Amino acid sequence: MDLETDLVVIGGGMAGLIAGTIAAEAGLDTILLRKGQSATAYSSGAIDVIGYLPEASEPIISPEEGLFALSRLYPLHPYNVLGYDKRIEFEKVMENIVGRTKDTVTWLKAHLDGTIAPLMGDFESNMHPITILGTTKPTCLIQKTMHNGDVQDREDSVLLFVGIMGYADFNPSTAAKTYLEDRMAAAGPPRKVGHCIIQVMPFGKPYNVSSIELARHLDHEGSIENLAEQLKEHIEQIGATHVAFPPVLGLQDALKNKEKLEELTGTTVFELLGFPPSIPGQRLQRALETIFTKAGGKMLLGHEATSYLKVDDNLKSITAASPRREIKIDAKAFVLATGKYIGGGIAGDETGLRETVFDLKPVTGDYHSAMEIVPSRFTSRLSISPTGQPIQSCGLSVDPRFRPVDEDGLEWAKNLFAAGAVLAGYNYSVEKSGLGVAATSGYSAAKNAIEFIKEVA
Amino acid sequence: MDENEAFEYVKSTLKKEKITPYHSDELEIVKSIGACINCGLCINHCPVVASVGLDRFSGPRSIAVELSRSPPEFWATADKVYLCTGCGTCREVCPKNVNIPEIVNIVRANIFEHRPDLVPKGLMIVKEIIEEHNLAFEPWEDKEEKEESRDMRLERLGIPYIPDVVKENAEVLFYPGCQAEERAQEVREAAKAILDYFDVDYTLLDEFSCCSLPSHLMGDAKTARNLAHQLKGKVKKLGVKKVVTTCAGCTSNLADLSVRDEWGAPAYHLLEYLVEEIGFEKLADALKKVAKPNDVHVSVHDPCHLIRHTSRQVMEHALNILRLMPGVRVTESVEHDNCCGGGGMVSFHASEVANSVVQENMMALEKTGAERLVTPCPLCTAQIENNLFKSGSSIEVDDLTVFIAQRLPKKE
Repeated sequence: MDLETDLVVIGGGMAGLIAGTIAAEAGLDTILLRKGQSATAYSSGAIDVIGYLPEASEPIISPEEGLFALSRLYPLHPYNVLGYDKRIEFEKVMENIVGRTKDTVTWLKAHLDGTIAPLMGDFESNMHPITILGTTKPTCLIQKTMHNGDVQDREDSVLLFVGIMGYADFNPSTAAKTYLEDRMAAAGPPRKVGHCIIQVMPFGKPYNVSSIELARHLDHEGSIENLAEQLKEHIEQIGATHVAFPPVLGLQDALKNKEKLEELTGTTVFELLGFPPSIPGQRLQRALETIFTKAGGKMLLGHEATSYLKVDDNLKSITAASPRREIKIDAKAFVLATGKYIGGGIAGDETGLRETVFDLKPVTGDYHSAMEIVPSRFTSRLSISPTGQPIQSCGLSVDPRFRPVDEDGLEWAKNLFAAGAVLAGYNYSVEKSGLGVAATSGYSAAKNAIEFIKEVA
Repeated sequence: MDENEAFEYVKSTLKKEKITPYHSDELEIVKSIGACINCGLCINHCPVVASVGLDRFSGPRSIAVELSRSPPEFWATADKVYLCTGCGTCREVCPKNVNIPEIVNIVRANIFEHRPDLVPKGLMIVKEIIEEHNLAFEPWEDKEEKEESRDMRLERLGIPYIPDVVKENAEVLFYPGCQAEERAQEVREAAKAILDYFDVDYTLLDEFSCCSLPSHLMGDAKTARNLAHQLKGKVKKLGVKKVVTTCAGCTSNLADLSVRDEWGAPAYHLLEYLVEEIGFEKLADALKKVAKPNDVHVSVHDPCHLIRHTSRQVMEHALNILRLMPGVRVTESVEHDNCCGGGGMVSFHASEVANSVVQENMMALEKTGAERLVTPCPLCTAQIENNLFKSGSSIEVDDLTVFIAQRLPKKE
């Protein structure tokens, strides 16, 4: 069975789904393959653009400030790649880089409005949502359920961390302690922080409870009222003005549930940022899939790109394999958004690193060949360090139009574009830039693919 | 020593330890567990976890990381591992594509071999039926009664009766599967009517026998291999070029067997055959010829064995065929691809779990406002139909093969 389309997107995380949605909205017939879920589905569900510079300990105030710094320090960072387009005048390079990232953020916020993962925040400044460890992290956009209101601005604010009996992923007393210490050091409110444990039993038992069970349970009618009833006593006890929940407030109706809880308790209720795979991450993934299919894109789940046909410098088709079938798909252009080590776009073993679909040549964060990089020797012993793991910066090198290039610096195919974590030159875990780079490069790759298809036609 | 002898030899040396070595075709599956990164994403998507909770069914991750490493007899896993419906959702969402549904079958096979006392009784009953009749269901005692039931169904549905054909060297073997052979006879007859309408050169089996999937799913590896061997002999003897079935489970299983056992005849679902061999043009022409088709508002259920064990594209075919039908309006349910709960032999011993899984589908179905549900699998049809009936819903369920046959014109 063969298919024919304008654009094939390989990979269904943030980069692939944004690229696909933009192409479909521009009227291209778009098929997106996905072999499994992505790092986006794992994520905390907040959209980082740039939170830290490598080796720096102070978070960045605004994405714009971060992009300026990156352009000086790491000119080949994926955010800066489009600046090398010869069609852009030198004076306008920075304006273009910032403009593209800002456009992406605005686009994403507008598109996810009305989905199960509506976003808030803006490009002008980073926000500092609280995590389930009681720490904060800089990020550009958060899901509206994570908004903690004026907890750090209001002098008389009192924050209550709420744990759930039998739910081992969140320890409210540790979180409360860490957060309070942090606030005391900053000499800002809230000056009083408490914690409590309540009972939510999706299947009638107060043990062995998971995030997904809680989230689904809270979407059921009556669950929120019950929860509010239990909360009231604890809120009164310490006079809480704000209530922090682990990220389980619902899968479909999280925002509605948050608002209802606020109404019933008279406090500001919010979700903390959680560990992977978090429920807000799942909401984000689903919301992105929704906007893609709504735009007319076609998803082919459970299919993996296993081989391809290339004639000269033109990629003609790829073969998509499911557990028991193979489909050949012809297309005018392709977007490679297969991710890095979680998504499987880049793989490594004792012989070195490789790109898994087209066998493109990966490079290191310094843009040297990574073909012979052995993963175990390209990691530092300290698992969390300000410089991060060098292996995380490896990936593909692309031209200003986001086409992967060979060792000679020429594009591998004129109609293959790459986006997301498969790219080299950035270290998301240190920079806190993962979903931002994915979104911006997905947006750019799609625009370039659309332009290419128009040029050819 | 050939591979089988080597296997038996190694097995005999490990008998006392109650360890069964892996067959070579199981090695890929076992190796895939090594890729598990223990993230737990699968738990969030497992339909059994969603309906009965993590405490009752510990979820796909625990099967991959804990149950698959249990003591050799795997006895400690028996209260969990039989609750997996084998829908394949975990494997589809897994970034590492760990083959959890097949790991379940391997664990079950070990329990079956070494601790048959722990195999749920409901499965042992099916095992006895299969051993006696080579069928997953007790066959009709009275042939005439079976025919009467068939004729009544055909008359009610308005599907023409086409006499059975058995011949050698036909292009296609039509393989109805146990459910359509013994219970949902209308599906078997509808498929024949469709094949006949498009002048397909087809044959049936002289003597029908089970494809082996139920035995494979309950862990009865020996019977599964026997049945597969039997079927291969029949396919080879008939000398067909293709095998076509109407059952989702048979589709994925026959596809495997035809490759593993080198049948030289690939296996397809009827939907694939219609789209790829008959083509949309002929289909559209035929479907448009019906003088006054009834307007009907349908929703669709995707069988796991077609979408996640074969290819999602098969259901694209189904939707495209429905779109060709005059008078048919399709509204997709948000749970169109959620497991119906009837898979993995769960309904044979823990029907409360199976019936709890299907609740999600039923709630989403009610929201579509559709008056009819169609699905290309007689087992999904039965599972959903029974539960809708029990809940007092007015929504009717049709196997998609029957629905298509009903909307074909009389053959000229």
